[in-house]
Amino acid sequence: MALPSNHFRSSVGSKVVMALSGLGLVIYVILHMLGNLQVFQGSHAFNGYAVFLRDMPILLWTARIGLLSLAAFHIVLAIQLTLRNRHARPVAYAVREYRQASFSSRTMAASGFVLLFFIIFHLFHLTADMIDPSSVDRLDVEGHRDVYGKLVHAFQNPFIMALYLAGQLGLGLHLNHAVTSSLQTLGFEYVAFNRLFKAAGPTVALVVVLGNVAIILAVFLGIVHG
Amino acid sequence: MKFTLNIWRQKGPDERGRLVTYEARDVSSGMSFLEMLDSVNQGLIAKGEEPVAFEQDCREGICGSCSLVINGIPHGPDRGITTCQLYMRRFPDGAVITIEPWRARAFPIIKDLVVDRRALDRIMQAGGYISVHTGGAVDGNVLLISKDQAETAMDAAACIGCGACVAACKNASPALFVGAKVSHLALLPQGKPERTSRVKAMLEAVDREGFGSCGNQNECEAVCPKRISVRFIATLNREYLWSGVVESGLPAEPESPHAESA
Repeated sequence: MALPSNHFRSSVGSKVVMALSGLGLVIYVILHMLGNLQVFQGSHAFNGYAVFLRDMPILLWTARIGLLSLAAFHIVLAIQLTLRNRHARPVAYAVREYRQASFSSRTMAASGFVLLFFIIFHLFHLTADMIDPSSVDRLDVEGHRDVYGKLVHAFQNPFIMALYLAGQLGLGLHLNHAVTSSLQTLGFEYVAFNRLFKAAGPTVALVVVLGNVAIILAVFLGIVHG
Repeated sequence: MKFTLNIWRQKGPDERGRLVTYEARDVSSGMSFLEMLDSVNQGLIAKGEEPVAFEQDCREGICGSCSLVINGIPHGPDRGITTCQLYMRRFPDGAVITIEPWRARAFPIIKDLVVDRRALDRIMQAGGYISVHTGGAVDGNVLLISKDQAETAMDAAACIGCGACVAACKNASPALFVGAKVSHLALLPQGKPERTSRVKAMLEAVDREGFGSCGNQNECEAVCPKRISVRFIATLNREYLWSGVVESGLPAEPESPHAESA
């Protein structure tokens, strides 16, 4: 059932598309974190997981193209809406005090930008392998690509580790407002569940960031090693 | 009591405005904020200067005329009241108070602190009503409405249309205002027949007037003098989505009752 196209050209329609594409990306971020936690099971399990993903090129590329188009929709509409919103108040207040708006809700554009640049860096770093010249593509004892070794090598570098932690800060700030806001935009509201919807954003943000930071710090502190 | 006021002065819609500092002397702690401005204006008139223009009417918090962003918060530091219900005892003696108008492209300044809020009226004209045949009043309880439904509709209908939600919003979005209006009509049987065309027409009017879009920061709820909940913004979004679903199932759009005559 297709919605009339002029529905999506309105500002609420754009927000709905942003919310849906954003939630799609959130689901990916959660799966990405859960999958990577397998690093704690050692190189065998982690490299096996990488092989498992690479063995399904159709699924892999569908996911990649899907993610790219979700991100494209999300970013283009975000820019469009932000410009429109800036236009809506030509003269700023001389004095401004916020009562309820959270820090993360006021910095969505900024945290979004941090996140975008971090994701680009992350793809060049660990997917395309173009950032760190000292990283070598080796095979492990079973003849699989040693993704585990590459990850351990990467996070032992304090600069890379700091960049990834900064990326997680951007991610946490963004998700904290994003999930709750998306639910509101999609019209989820029911007295008995409203507290649940309010808690959804901070909870997702906390779980995802804790999971990712655990991996980064575990490698840096030598708990996970090659 | 004595206060230093930084007040936005602007001669007309197309003039450049600026903050001008005034001293308010001999202010009684029992004065309302607007009475304090009245006394400042008396002093200005006595000196032969132009008094500060600001909007007011009922001075009992129900008409929605008074506005004023006081120290960065629409309707001032107390929650759940309008500017006219704010008293000077709320401020420490000698305080510096900055007074600005509602700021939004859709609310052009007419003079000083007075802004043109007719954009909200035009949103209402686009669909914020019910079309009924007039006639004898219907007997009580002919239309049965559950207590919960009636209370929720009343919570939304408490909106006095002052525009503080727009003034407080980072994006100058009237989502809380439109949400309240759409919700209270959608919740009651009288509003059901025009339910889908109403929400569409009102949101199209919002875009047309140059308001921003809702960022779900809930700042509007925190300054609303009637404490309207942001749950009505979710209801608004849901009504809008539902109108799209209903419309996609219709063969052709009938002549919209809300089409505006230009």
